[in-house]
Amino acid sequence: MTTLRQPRRAGPAGRPAGPVGRAGSAGRIRPRLSRDMWFLVPAIVFVIVTVLYPLIYNIGQSFFDVGIREIVSGGAEWIGLDNYIDQFGRAEFWSSLGISLLYTVATVALSLVVGMALAVLFTADFPGRNYMRALVLAAWILPTVVSANVWRWMLDGSYGLFNTILRGLGLIHEDVFWLGNPGTALPAVVIASAWSFAPFAMILLLAGLQSVSVTLYEAARIDGANRWQQFRSITLPILRPVTVTTALLCFIYTFKTFDTVFLMTGGGPGGATSILPIYAYDQAFNFFEFGKSAVATTVLLIVPIFLSIFYFRSIRREERS
Amino acid sequence: MARSSSTPRSRILTRALGISTVFALGVTLTACSAGGSDGSGSDDSGSGTEITLWQYYGDPDTPTGGPLYDFIDRFEASQDDITVDVRFIPFGDFNRTLLQSAAAGDLPDVALINAFDTAAMADAGVIEDLSERVDEWGEQDAYFPTSWETTQVDGATYGIPHLADAYAVYYNKAMLGAAGLTPPTTWTEMEETAAALAVDGKSGLAVSGIEGAEGATGLVIRTLAEGGDLAEFDSPAGETALNSFKTMSDSGAMSPGVLTWNEDDVKNQFATGQAAMMINSATYVSVLREENPELEWDVALLPKGSEDQLTFLSAENLTIGEGSENADAAWDLITFMQQPEELATYLPERNKLPARDDVPDESEDPVRATFAEQLQSAWAPEGDLAAVSNDVFTHVQRALQASLSGSSSTADALKTAQTGIDEALAK
Repeated sequence: MTTLRQPRRAGPAGRPAGPVGRAGSAGRIRPRLSRDMWFLVPAIVFVIVTVLYPLIYNIGQSFFDVGIREIVSGGAEWIGLDNYIDQFGRAEFWSSLGISLLYTVATVALSLVVGMALAVLFTADFPGRNYMRALVLAAWILPTVVSANVWRWMLDGSYGLFNTILRGLGLIHEDVFWLGNPGTALPAVVIASAWSFAPFAMILLLAGLQSVSVTLYEAARIDGANRWQQFRSITLPILRPVTVTTALLCFIYTFKTFDTVFLMTGGGPGGATSILPIYAYDQAFNFFEFGKSAVATTVLLIVPIFLSIFYFRSIRREERS
Repeated sequence: MARSSSTPRSRILTRALGISTVFALGVTLTACSAGGSDGSGSDDSGSGTEITLWQYYGDPDTPTGGPLYDFIDRFEASQDDITVDVRFIPFGDFNRTLLQSAAAGDLPDVALINAFDTAAMADAGVIEDLSERVDEWGEQDAYFPTSWETTQVDGATYGIPHLADAYAVYYNKAMLGAAGLTPPTTWTEMEETAAALAVDGKSGLAVSGIEGAEGATGLVIRTLAEGGDLAEFDSPAGETALNSFKTMSDSGAMSPGVLTWNEDDVKNQFATGQAAMMINSATYVSVLREENPELEWDVALLPKGSEDQLTFLSAENLTIGEGSENADAAWDLITFMQQPEELATYLPERNKLPARDDVPDESEDPVRATFAEQLQSAWAPEGDLAAVSNDVFTHVQRALQASLSGSSSTADALKTAQTGIDEALAK
């Protein structure tokens, strides 16, 4: 912005604005402006091509009857809201949305609780703290294809580490297929997802924690507050904005998660983990119903957008008060 | 590779971006990243024509992919003009990648596609009509009718059967011997035998029941054995089939793990002695021989049901990408790969069977003979069912998942599947 203002200040005042050209005062300003604008072009083009265009195209596609033939050769028919009416009338769609929300809320809650516990732990000074922190972060850095498959193997009924441990402890006596049972599959993918997201939550919360003045804790200690009271009355209220931001970011990341669940269960068994992104994938690449898939992906877009609006409003309200 | 096309460039770009858009909202496909181009056996000589071939068999160093690369090497050695750039794309990503490439106007010259997807791909305009070339070639009568039928779409030929394979029962000789049992010949016997073999945490029969079309094969075979028609899955045949699998699952004859196993996992269960029998294709014959030489096993024909004993055809068709600039060279490769003497070298390396009746087979391998016999009763979807077979198999598999996992009753699972099948057929 400063570069845009500077020529205006530098330009001699009072001269009549001439036609756009290389000569004349206005001419000196405008080419400079447009020259500066050129530096923005790559960023603008990048955003348009990779973000805006696909988004708008996707929303547009949800109003057309797009099957496999139309995807390849074009000529999709405009059908208005038919795709929406069709999808919103399906129990599987609502079930997927419900499972998605349940999966997301559970994962975010677990990530926040574990992330907060880790953040509080790492504010304490103990030997090897930095190494441990780096180690915990590995869960976040690890590619999903690795972590999801590791979880899949650990939870395998026949050879899984998890069953071996439980059997060793005498808690189970026969193979339990955690990912093959509708009652345990969803909690299993929640735990696997939270395992990756918790370190991410930890980093954000830790940054927040480090900004809390130690004098507050000292004052609280003098007043006789115990650790839990300090946490509840100082840490949590001060960290509230950071926690809300972390929760929102975790929500958005989790709500759109596809790979972890797809690799671990593929949406099964019996649709127990069929979250909305998997539902959209099935519609598009199993049933070649690209228009109907676009409805699901549009909903996938709308939910986090509403949440973000709600979040920014509450931040503004907080700032005003 | 640049390719001329009647579609304007802007529309091509639009569609290319559009198909990617389904995932533009952040749905990542880390796990499904397609394999890169592999240049093995495709040294660019610089002067002749280079054609591309996409396949999902495997990399050159895998038992399933290696023989194909060797086959391509033999083609390149047989002439001087054409070189082939082979690209391996994992099975789960293959159709998606092909569709994306079609939308972008950048299809391979030759695509080795799942035989059952031929109708859908032809319908979508992804592959070329080969009828004229086939008429000129004149070898269509050499193919087994079931295999040839998979290449036919509305009276036109869209592919050439590459090979054929069938599903049969692999059984662990030591485990059956110790229990004093023989391989079952009927499904009633199968239920009893599998239950008797399910001791000490082991299961009697392993099949793939994983999410997606792959997990439907076992139940499709069971339904066909009752004389069932997949278009009418919610029928006494479908009910008997689903109840039969449910009974085996409840009795422990079949592990609850089937719902999480793909065909590789099933092979692993069998290879490690965790499952006494498995239903799988001949693909795993060489894998088992190489990886588990100490395992004593044999193969038996599928059990009979009340009506029939049909197996599931597992096959690929060689097709030419729509608008290929090198269609002639692609056709040369396809016809080379169908020469009986070439197939006679290639097929035993992969433990696969020919789709045509004039391929000399000097092997005296009894396992191969059993698969060849099983192939005589191979089933493939035809007509309307062929165009939407992937949808239909997915619905059948969902019924299996819903019923075995206990999330719905057999009757409800069949009803839900039928609704999906009816919708697919109405497309």
